[in-house]
Amino acid sequence: MKNRTLAATIIRSVLLFCIGIFAVIFSIYYYYTRETIKETTRENAIFLANNTVNQIEQVLNPIEKIPDIIARMMESSFLTEDSLIPFLQSILKNNKTIFASAIAYEPSYFPEKGLYYAPYVFRQGDSISTTSLGGENYEYFFMDWYQIPKMTNSSYWSEPYFDEGGANILMTTYSTPFYTYKNGVRTFSGVVTIDVSLEFLKQIMSKLKILDTGYAFLISRNGVIITHPNQKYVMNESIFSIAKANNQPGMRSVGRNMVQGKSNFASADFKSKFKSGKLWINYISLPSSHWSIGVIYPESEMFASLRKINIILMLLVVFGLSLLSVFITRIINNITKPLKLLASSARLIASGNFNVKLPEIKTHDEMEELCDSFIYMQKELAEYIVTLKDTTSAKEKIESELRIAREIQMAMIPHIFPPFPDLPQIDVFAVLKSAKEVGGDLYDFFVIDGDKFCFAIGDVSGKGVPASLFMAVTRTLVRSISDKETSPSVIVTSLNKSLSDNNESSMFVTFFLGVLDLKTGLLKYCNAGHNPPVIIHGNGEVTMFEKTKYIPVGLFEDFDYQEISLQLEDGDKIFLYTDGVSEAENVDNKLFGDDTLMNIVSQNAKATPRDLIHRMEEEIATHVNGFTQSDDITMMTIVYDGKHNRS
Amino acid sequence: MGIIHNFKTQFYICLKMRNLNHYILKFTATVLFCFISLFAGAQLPKLIFSPQWLPQAQFAGYYIAKERGFYKEAGIDVEIVHPTTSLQVTAMLKSGKADVISLFLTTAMTCKNQGLDIVNIGQISQHSAILIVTKKSSGISELKQLNGKKIGVWKSGFDELPKALIAEKNLKVEWVPILSTVNLFMLDGIDAMTVMSYNEYDQIINSGLDENELNVFPLADLGYDIPEDGLYCLRSTYEKKKSELNKFLISTLKGWQYTTENKDSALNIVLQTMQLAHVPANKAHQDWMLGKTLELINPGHKTVKPGELLETDFMNAATIINKRDKSSSTYLFTDFYKKPIE
Repeated sequence: MKNRTLAATIIRSVLLFCIGIFAVIFSIYYYYTRETIKETTRENAIFLANNTVNQIEQVLNPIEKIPDIIARMMESSFLTEDSLIPFLQSILKNNKTIFASAIAYEPSYFPEKGLYYAPYVFRQGDSISTTSLGGENYEYFFMDWYQIPKMTNSSYWSEPYFDEGGANILMTTYSTPFYTYKNGVRTFSGVVTIDVSLEFLKQIMSKLKILDTGYAFLISRNGVIITHPNQKYVMNESIFSIAKANNQPGMRSVGRNMVQGKSNFASADFKSKFKSGKLWINYISLPSSHWSIGVIYPESEMFASLRKINIILMLLVVFGLSLLSVFITRIINNITKPLKLLASSARLIASGNFNVKLPEIKTHDEMEELCDSFIYMQKELAEYIVTLKDTTSAKEKIESELRIAREIQMAMIPHIFPPFPDLPQIDVFAVLKSAKEVGGDLYDFFVIDGDKFCFAIGDVSGKGVPASLFMAVTRTLVRSISDKETSPSVIVTSLNKSLSDNNESSMFVTFFLGVLDLKTGLLKYCNAGHNPPVIIHGNGEVTMFEKTKYIPVGLFEDFDYQEISLQLEDGDKIFLYTDGVSEAENVDNKLFGDDTLMNIVSQNAKATPRDLIHRMEEEIATHVNGFTQSDDITMMTIVYDGKHNRS
Repeated sequence: MGIIHNFKTQFYICLKMRNLNHYILKFTATVLFCFISLFAGAQLPKLIFSPQWLPQAQFAGYYIAKERGFYKEAGIDVEIVHPTTSLQVTAMLKSGKADVISLFLTTAMTCKNQGLDIVNIGQISQHSAILIVTKKSSGISELKQLNGKKIGVWKSGFDELPKALIAEKNLKVEWVPILSTVNLFMLDGIDAMTVMSYNEYDQIINSGLDENELNVFPLADLGYDIPEDGLYCLRSTYEKKKSELNKFLISTLKGWQYTTENKDSALNIVLQTMQLAHVPANKAHQDWMLGKTLELINPGHKTVKPGELLETDFMNAATIINKRDKSSSTYLFTDFYKKPIE
């Protein structure tokens, strides 16, 4: 795995946190800024639309008043038929915005004038001309401009149309009904009209500046496009036909709102072939003609400033986070620099160089504390190692001495087998395995006066060096006493006396000593508190000696030990052992036990002394199964072969 | 004159003026064409056909037949000449400016009754496209509620069927003659209006009223499924040009069949024709008109071959006309309807 630096870990965590915080802040900022822009645009859009409406109404409103006044004059008979044409002419003269005006009467209103009577005054170049409307090819009674005011009893702004004069001028007609009294009854009598050029509308609408590429359009009461930047639409299409052709129900819905005189500023729920992208629309109705102005705002331009700010903000954030990363890296590096030095010093110390100089840190913070701790640790370690060296050399010395002591101890007991090649009556094999370097067990055998075989086994209380010294004393005393005596009881009593004398450390020995007359096979023995040996008869029968009633030697100076005699037969064997055998423990604290010992002896009754003892060793090893040996183990087997006497 | 008398006409004329240059070009082209015709196509007998109105999708089949060369294939040279607002097709027929015209069945029967000796040489439309519409907001949802109401109707004719229907239902209504716009209806100047399914109905929709805001009474569903557009010529022409007229009818029907199968290309040809004639062309509206016209041509439930006039339809029309005129004129089917080749 690649090593991660602390700086990288901290930067990653801090950056992630900062980016998270920024995302939240940015989202909130974006939402509110967008709402603000929307609201500002809405206010501007409404202001712009109202302003445009006012400009248009400033032209249309005064025009509406003229036919209304004429109608009232007609009703009150203020205008006579003769004065109609001069009156209309004067109106045209005084109102440059008016293109033409007519007063159209109901059929045969003046019977003498025929079916049609409609004086019509219009501009022709710079002059004002007069004619009369109506005829077989121009039945004005059925024209919208006449019929609609008549049927609805209200004034009417016609759908825009192109001037018939051929100047390609967009026109509209305002017509209002007038009434006269016939036989005292107020009766519809005709319509007063004013024709107005809509060129001024084009100018007003084209002057509107909406963002970069936004635009305004005007639709009639039926949704017909009156002005639009796309000239192909003008008077050819209605907002509804465009919606249908492009399958935009949202556009139709807006169109319906517009022709119904509603106003709104909203996100456009439609796509335009003329202007791609998401759009917003503001629409408002003209109070006079009920036409409607629509203003299109491309969303991309509406929120262009926001987008620009967003980009700048993003760049600033990236720049800021980069700076932050550099800053954090420097701080972390400054903090971790002593740590790195400490780490390399620690490695040198670990390799044994305790005198390495640790970096000096004077930051007065945790780092300095850490460094102080390191210096203290370095000092303590150095001292400890010195102590350890001394202790180790002392220990090595002791171990060496113990090794020598063991060799001396082992040299004190017979270890050459068979020991008496010239005495065929007897065969002996023995082992002594100390639990520690030196042990407290002992065995010994030797021949006295040529035919007395003396053998002994013992176990000193305690272990280690004191026990081994006590054992050496015991062995030396036995050899020394048995030079003059052949009676086991005398030997043991004498030994007890010598050992008990000045026995400050109150140590004692369990001791078994036997003297076998090689000629007769008579065994005399004295058992001072030792484990009873096992006798293996020539016929394979195995029995344990009686348990002794005598205490171990070295305890009471004047204790009187007695001996017991036992006649051995040819082939009888005696198996002697210390409690290290019968009390050998395994990991479960289970003892090897006398029963197991007896069984093994029985099973190997015919074995040679060497084989029996090796067999016993194996069984003990199996039993303890590697568990640490806690006591010295000593075994000795003697075979008496009396038949050699007779030969 | 500044005052509008007909929106379409107004626009048409002004466009004419606007495109004076174009007319000069067109004139040159026509002269050239005449020369070419004289030398190259002199052998083909010529027929002038006049549909009853300005160029629009209602006449798509004729444009297609000409454009795709069906007439020439049949061995006739057909020129399509549209009427103007001041020159009706019947006048063109009378004066010889047209050999064949299209007319409403009832209009043709009335004209014949009034002395114009014409014969039907083929019946294109088999159904009535006339609807009576009311705004749902007016509360008129049943025919009988029209009693005492004002109904707009074409001043130029086509009024026999609605008037017969209203008379049959014993309703008293005020008929208000309308020239061509739906504005009076939109502004509630009238309570109901008779419209053609392929024309004024779509104008209403394109003026911002939704279909679900209208109550519609189709005359075809009320027992007045009288055929409309048919092909007519003077009896004298019929006697002289039976073979050419037969070819004309067969090629025309082929043109309509082609239109049915190729609606999009037919629509494009209609729009081109309209643009050439400087008539405002609104694709959405023409698309609607073409669809509805094809529905009218389809015999549907009637057992009639394409191009044929059913005697029962003729007799029903006669009854309706007599009822309207309160007369008892005799209308002879065999005298009226002539297959070009029996």
